[in-house]
Amino acid sequence: MVKAQPKKKKKVDVRREQAQKDRMKKKIKKLEKAAPELIPIEDFETPLKFSDNSRVRSLPPLSFEETERRVLLMKKWSAYKQSQDRAEKQAIRSLVEAQQEALKELRLESEELYQAAIRRDEGLFPFERDGPNYTPPLPGYDPPEGKCIDITKVYTQ
Amino acid sequence: MLLKQVFALSRAATPQESHLCAAGGALVSCHRQYRSRPTHGIGKYKHLLPKEVPKRKKDKVQMKEINAGTEHEYGDVNIQMTSYDMCLVEHFAQYVHKLCNQLSVRVSESYAMPTKTNEVLFLEERGSKMQLDAVLTTHQRVIQVSRLSSTFAPILLEIIQSNQPEGVHLLVKEHTEADFKSRLKARPELEELLAQMS
Repeated sequence: MVKAQPKKKKKVDVRREQAQKDRMKKKIKKLEKAAPELIPIEDFETPLKFSDNSRVRSLPPLSFEETERRVLLMKKWSAYKQSQDRAEKQAIRSLVEAQQEALKELRLESEELYQAAIRRDEGLFPFERDGPNYTPPLPGYDPPEGKCIDITKVYTQ
Repeated sequence: MLLKQVFALSRAATPQESHLCAAGGALVSCHRQYRSRPTHGIGKYKHLLPKEVPKRKKDKVQMKEINAGTEHEYGDVNIQMTSYDMCLVEHFAQYVHKLCNQLSVRVSESYAMPTKTNEVLFLEERGSKMQLDAVLTTHQRVIQVSRLSSTFAPILLEIIQSNQPEGVHLLVKEHTEADFKSRLKARPELEELLAQMS
């Protein structure tokens, strides 16, 4: 009688544990079946306050000289931008050509160095750079104390 | 009477015929096949068109295989642009995309990362209360470029750098699984259960 009880407890515990594990596995399978979703991007959703069509801007009609001036200005601007773009493309082409010529000369010099130069640079990535600023930071500026709190909305599936 | 009947028939025939022409398949309703005649199957053309794969309603968001890259080519490289100004970052991303297209660099993906919002508080000069200064939103755009050649990569970097606008932070790095996972929604229940299991 005394020997029977501990045996029952072990079996029941094992069965209970097994049942629990199976239930958890089923739950995991069910959750895994649902495909992962991408976080919706707030940038691409127009806020509701801009969907109101009642506010309409009414501009005064422009004079003939004004329209002419604007059209001519646009033409000048587009010509300027086009020349800028052409100069940029020319610069790229000259860069590539110079590089190819240099590699050709290097090949003539030594094959080993050429092969080493062709290989990819592991130290190139990751590459980080801050954009230029309109005004440089003031020297000796004492900022007030404060803190930044991240209030990004956390989406869960 | 006969004329009227003929007119009625012709009017009835033409819309039906147009329906039949539009269908294009072989078996069209209310027309039997003259299988012994040589004109059997006349008008069939659907079998000549290429087979259309039925479009699935929802494309499962699956991770694309990350290309490791060979010795002379870089694999998937992410060009990440971050800034507080959304218009600037969008325009810069469009510019980089067009540039890659013109230089025949393959752009595998071009997406936006979720926006982060930060509340900036500062301590008033006289007083211990924190005052709200501003709510800043950080926007990030990513352009994924693959099969970049080792000789052309520094040139591309140079061009992007020279055209970098103010306030836009540029980060160029290789694509990893963690980058992809950061775009997906968090699943706390699944993670809890998995932690319990192991």
